[in-house]
Amino acid sequence: MTALLEANDLRKSFGGVKAVAGISLAVPENSIFAVIGPNGAGKSTMMNLLSGTYQPDSGTLMFGGRQLAGLPAHRRVRLGLARTFQKIRLFKQLSLLDNVLAGFHIHHRVPAWQYMLPGAAFWRDWRRCREEGLALLEFVGLAGQATQRAGALAYGQQRMLEIARAMATRPKLFMLDEPAAGLNAAEVAFLQQRLQDIRARGITVVVVEHNMELVMKVADHVFVMDHGEFLFEGPPKAVQSNPKVIEAYLGGEFDSGALA
Amino acid sequence: MNGLAAALRRDLRWPWYLGAVILLLLLPLLLGTPYWRGILIVCAMNVLLAMSLNLVIGYTGQLNLGQSGFFAIGAYVTTVLLKSYGWNFWLACVAAVLAAGLVGLLLAAFAARLRGHYLGIASLGFAVIVYQILINWESVTKGVQGIYGIKPPPLSIPGYPDLNFGNQAALFYLVAGIALLVYLLLDNLLRSPIGETLRAIREDEISAASLGVNGAKWKAFSFSLSAAIAGLAGCFYPSFVGTLVPDAFNTVESFTMLAMVVVGGMGTMIGPVVGAIVLTFLPELLRGFGDLRLIVYGLALTLVVLFMPGGMVQAWQLLRVRVAKGKAEGSGGSAAAGS
Repeated sequence: MTALLEANDLRKSFGGVKAVAGISLAVPENSIFAVIGPNGAGKSTMMNLLSGTYQPDSGTLMFGGRQLAGLPAHRRVRLGLARTFQKIRLFKQLSLLDNVLAGFHIHHRVPAWQYMLPGAAFWRDWRRCREEGLALLEFVGLAGQATQRAGALAYGQQRMLEIARAMATRPKLFMLDEPAAGLNAAEVAFLQQRLQDIRARGITVVVVEHNMELVMKVADHVFVMDHGEFLFEGPPKAVQSNPKVIEAYLGGEFDSGALA
Repeated sequence: MNGLAAALRRDLRWPWYLGAVILLLLLPLLLGTPYWRGILIVCAMNVLLAMSLNLVIGYTGQLNLGQSGFFAIGAYVTTVLLKSYGWNFWLACVAAVLAAGLVGLLLAAFAARLRGHYLGIASLGFAVIVYQILINWESVTKGVQGIYGIKPPPLSIPGYPDLNFGNQAALFYLVAGIALLVYLLLDNLLRSPIGETLRAIREDEISAASLGVNGAKWKAFSFSLSAAIAGLAGCFYPSFVGTLVPDAFNTVESFTMLAMVVVGGMGTMIGPVVGAIVLTFLPELLRGFGDLRLIVYGLALTLVVLFMPGGMVQAWQLLRVRVAKGKAEGSGGSAAAGS
């Protein structure tokens, strides 16, 4: 199995605090790759390094044979990286459909003048984006609310809308930052199904997650971080029974029931 | 309603444009005195300025307090090329619009690094600098003494009698026609994916970047286009007034434009147009109050912002929703609850 994304000795400090201290990982193509760890383990920083929101202090980051370090976030999207945010960042004043439409930014093929004087190519693109956008809303169960304002959605629905919006960029690698945070049991079950569907579409999934039940159910490979460092990695079963992992989580929010 | 049908519904716009054309044609006939025709021309210029500022503030979400600088660049570049270098008016206009657009890129460089209030201060500084250059670069701008005897733009098309825009009605038709054309093109642009991109930047720039949007590039686009439109408005100002002095481009003008955008309703196409019309005519209608005029004007501004935070357009939309609800409830309102 070839690695789609490969990080080598990534480091990032914030004023003396080593948030990510030499992480190396390889995400196999078309897998669901979970990154877990207690609070403050550096998972979100890792996510921001992968997506380009932060640039690493040192280390290399290869995506499909291309060096990513140094590339700003918006350029990485064109290569096929998409992400969602731990703290939801929707365009709250815009409708659900407009949120998803903004995700097609890099996929419009219209002669520039037609943005001011719409012609046939413009209307083809216009129609195609709306059809595809609605299909994505349907995929996350929100097609019925397409014209509603995104800020008015329930919390769990906002998370699903962020997924639909990121999917509009047509990624090869989709990174989700704690997608299950704040979801109820039914919503988590729906999310799990969707993550598997996304992988079935040929998209590689990286998920940073606290919800162990979800991770154990969907992940092919689990990567454990603690204090910005690598702790352990392997298939879910091996992670569950690893003493180092259990110790790192003891007294944390990771309940032992989920490990059993 | 069927989701796809709703998403593919297009607003029927041509009747509105047709109505606007008819209204614009009638206006100089309804307001026949030279005084009111002059106000009409100023109003058309203000509409252009308010629309230009709205592009940056209302759609791209960047606080810009320096728009008077671009208005000035449009006016001075046109006039200096016309008077000192003997350029053709229309050619000078093109140069002035390009110049304003290029300087807009300069301000966009600030916007790439500064946010919110900081950008506001930096752009205000830009307007102050432009104003100071107009006063002090006397060899070109004639400084505070100003440039006099600016002729109205001529238009001669071979085979037709020369059009003379010294006639106020004709000048109004010219500026209002341009304003309507700019409105149409901007409206199209902001309904297109480019509008989606600018609104995404306004709402959340980091989120927009996660969708592949190069924020710096699109802010530069917005600032530059906005500056070019303000410059275009500036082209017609000197030939209407006949003289050009720096005081017409004092930084206070930037705030007047901001008031037009906010009072009308920023982030909507029609809002700033309404704001520009109201704030152009209101001081004239208040002349009966004599010296109290400016106080009444200030009070009106305050009340609008206080009670209609989304501007007059949003207040109007809310009112319509309320009336519709009231009607639905009046006729056994269960239908409204179901939709």
